Amino acid sequence: MAKFLDPEAYRAQSADWQLLPFRFERINGRVLVTNLVGEHLFLDAEEFGQLSKGDLPADSPLVRRLRAKHVIRESGDDLPVELLAIKARTRYRRLSEFTALHILVASLRCEHSCPYCQVSRQSSDKGAYDMSSETAAIALDSVFRSPSQNIKIEFQGGEPLLNFELIEEVVATARQRNETEGKNLGFVIATNLALLDDRVIEFCRANNVYISTSLDGPADLHNKNRPRPGRNSWELATAGIQRVREELGVDRVSALMTTTRSSLGRVIEIIDVYVEQGLTSVFLRPLSPYGFAIKTKSFAAYDVDAWLPFFEEGLDYIIELNRAGIPMVEQYSAIVLKKMLTNDDPGYVDLTSPAGIGIGAIVYNYDGDVYASDEGRMLAEMGDKTFRLGNLHQDSYEEIMLSDALLGPLEESFTQSAPMCSDCAFEPYCGADPTYHHATTGDFLGRKPTSGFCRRNMAIFKLLLDRYESDAFTRSLFQTWASH
Amino acid sequence: MIALRGKATEVELSAPIARRVWKLVDAATLTPQRHSRAFLAGDDGQAPDGFDLYLSRSAASRPDQDATWLRLPEDLDYLSGGDVVSVSDDGERIRVLWRHQSHQNSILLTERCNHYCLMCSQPPKTREDDELLAQAFELLRLLPRDVAEIGFTGGEPTLYGQELIDLLRLCRNLHPEAQVHVLSNGTRFADPDFAAAWASIENPNMMVGIPIYGAEPARHDYVVQSKGAFNQTIPGILNLAQLGQRIEIRVALHKQTAPALPEIAEFIARNLPFVDQVALMGLEMIGLARANIPELWIDPTEYADELIEAVTLLDRSRIHTMIYNHQLCLIPRSIWPWTVRSISDWKNEYHAECASCNVKDDCGGFFFSAKYKVSENIRAIPIEGTQEPAVLQI
Amino acid sequence: MTGHVSFDGSTASIDAVQRAAYRLSDRISCDIAAGEGSIEVTVHPAEPDADVEALIGELRNEVLDQVLRERIRGETADVRNLVLAVAFSKTGLVESDG
Repeated sequence: MAKFLDPEAYRAQSADWQLLPFRFERINGRVLVTNLVGEHLFLDAEEFGQLSKGDLPADSPLVRRLRAKHVIRESGDDLPVELLAIKARTRYRRLSEFTALHILVASLRCEHSCPYCQVSRQSSDKGAYDMSSETAAIALDSVFRSPSQNIKIEFQGGEPLLNFELIEEVVATARQRNETEGKNLGFVIATNLALLDDRVIEFCRANNVYISTSLDGPADLHNKNRPRPGRNSWELATAGIQRVREELGVDRVSALMTTTRSSLGRVIEIIDVYVEQGLTSVFLRPLSPYGFAIKTKSFAAYDVDAWLPFFEEGLDYIIELNRAGIPMVEQYSAIVLKKMLTNDDPGYVDLTSPAGIGIGAIVYNYDGDVYASDEGRMLAEMGDKTFRLGNLHQDSYEEIMLSDALLGPLEESFTQSAPMCSDCAFEPYCGADPTYHHATTGDFLGRKPTSGFCRRNMAIFKLLLDRYESDAFTRSLFQTWASH
Repeated sequence: MIALRGKATEVELSAPIARRVWKLVDAATLTPQRHSRAFLAGDDGQAPDGFDLYLSRSAASRPDQDATWLRLPEDLDYLSGGDVVSVSDDGERIRVLWRHQSHQNSILLTERCNHYCLMCSQPPKTREDDELLAQAFELLRLLPRDVAEIGFTGGEPTLYGQELIDLLRLCRNLHPEAQVHVLSNGTRFADPDFAAAWASIENPNMMVGIPIYGAEPARHDYVVQSKGAFNQTIPGILNLAQLGQRIEIRVALHKQTAPALPEIAEFIARNLPFVDQVALMGLEMIGLARANIPELWIDPTEYADELIEAVTLLDRSRIHTMIYNHQLCLIPRSIWPWTVRSISDWKNEYHAECASCNVKDDCGGFFFSAKYKVSENIRAIPIEGTQEPAVLQI
Repeated sequence: MTGHVSFDGSTASIDAVQRAAYRLSDRISCDIAAGEGSIEVTVHPAEPDADVEALIGELRNEVLDQVLRERIRGETADVRNLVLAVAFSKTGLVESDG
């Protein structure tokens, strides 16, 4: 029988370690290290000292961790390069599959009068504010020009159900056209559910349409945010949610919240409402910088600081709900965790670099104007047309997608080359938001040290990593969220 | 423990034995075919004419036919029609190649290997043993069309190169619906041409089981005692994946690998997310494992946390994961759903504690070889609610 | 209340000092000038009653980290380009030679 050799015979022969690309941030006395594709590990100060000074031995537990996570390699070892390349390729796969989300503004009209909403019109003049069949037809041409195999058409507004005939027409035409196009085609109606009736339900059933709605929390909060004649927005929304759950299926409706200053301090009540409604996912959205804030130019980083405890309390409460056997996902965390824990792309247009404008999502307004994002449309309503890419009736698909209005912000906001972002350990988890930065600072890139977007996201990344490292149940819960 | 080989207690050669591999036929399975078949006579010695080889059980009467005849040793008395054996030239040595009643037949292709794993249950030999390959070809031709599962093992089967490809192609052609599982260290697939040859077999029911013992070279190479092994096995896996081939990753759990199990699971989930399944294997204390007990033995209860962490991570990453060869009383209850009752029935034994255990039917029991080393923590699991079990309740 | 700090030009580059100043620019704004083998920084806190010395301490630490980042970038630039070249060579997003 041949002799067995000791472990020493199989370790690296010398401490000839080469660094692979990595970035670091100091957090509470430890050092977070992320590799080229966002895999992370925490080192203590002493370990980081060894790594940064090139003072690593030929073998040690630290050396093995760093090799396993592709932070260092043995000189001449090609395998880490190949694995990093495969992982990087997976992360950037979506770039060639552009524009998965197409938003059609079926009507600007709405019977609510929410104070933060910039886009709606109180009107019964269908001709003035409804999308026409002609416009919709050209929009569908644009939709099917997208290389993405997965296409989602989302009807928005105002209140899109006020132009329900158009929705019926678009869905029918798209489905028929898809028989030759062969895409994975999905439809969503973003509605306040006040106008949900048998006809809409039947239509959604027949065409596998999903419903996205708003639920800001308890009735007083929701109704204060969303005034309508009758003051019963919450009652209609919750009744609508139950109706969709029971008549179409529990997974056919999802809800988003709008967070206002009145929401702060009430996150547990808000989440409890979601639990009562049988919803299993909640999106703890940040305070919006658009709307009044931009008009008054009062949005500042302090708003982020006011909001962060809201998010932290909400996240911790959701973790406890799960521990008690009540399923609930925090959507933003799930999106971030997918970027942290996998090589997959959640396809969330507001947290990606290159930015999601135009290439992640695109908006066709009721009048044929094309916008790079929904926030871009909102800015236009307030007089700033920076993100208007063209008009369906005047410009070709190529002219729209290759316009300076789109390519300029994409290039300028690219985080991999941006000051501070390019050095940031969290960059693989983060994204560019040219609309936000343009609205708050006047340029697409912004100044990250003073950017509310940066401040908020950095705090969220640190929070998620802290919870991930702290507790096996949370780790397993986050892994589940990351894999959906 | 079921014997798979034995010596004939009586041999009468009427002529040189015509072939090595024989399919057994008995009264219950008699058909007009004679080619490649040997008749296993009943206790009364009754046998039809026309066979080139006759066998009798240890206490049976000898049949009248004037052809080559063997008497089986007592521990091969279990053989029956449908089983396949190989017989040596002199008729004395019998090796069981296929038991038709078993769901876990494994075809040994070679005992040669280019690794030398610390825990190897089939210690490598250097002797050329192509006759095993030749017998495998014959065996495939004798198996019924509808055989459900065929396993190929070694040593290292890919040492045969193109001949292995030929064998597997024959297997696919003769048994297109069979689930085929081949064990290999995967290093040869680092050669793109060999990976392409493998893919050209085009068997969607074929999977290769490849072990990984570390998330980086030092640990893996040490366990398989081959410098550079990790840097060939992983590229081999990548080549197969690029060609759409089905891959199982196997991780043997012992003192050298169990502490790194979460790291290995993370490495698999992040770098090899395409694999079809992961098998976490309990140790079999035979072969080289017995020589290395100090380096290998660890009570499974000591790596319960690592096991939970790894299984959870792989499961959440949507990689089908299975735990083999662990007694249920040594594994946290929360991960029992991932265990598979798996010890090959020919290796199966139970402990005295097991007599009163409520979950014995779901548990794989022990390897026969466990008598060399067994956990102190084996405990019968009582029926729920009757008493506090003294085992892991995680 | 402004402060002043000097960095040794042989151990810190102007780029590293600029990057460090940029990172802290929510709390300080800096005038950065090259001196005789040194880099001279005048520090203006954003808040008038801020502790300038503490901020200068942060700036010093951040410069050290930026120097380290510069070294890491330099040492890993080639392998980073190699990884990305391999990653995109088969996607059709980049024309490959072979």
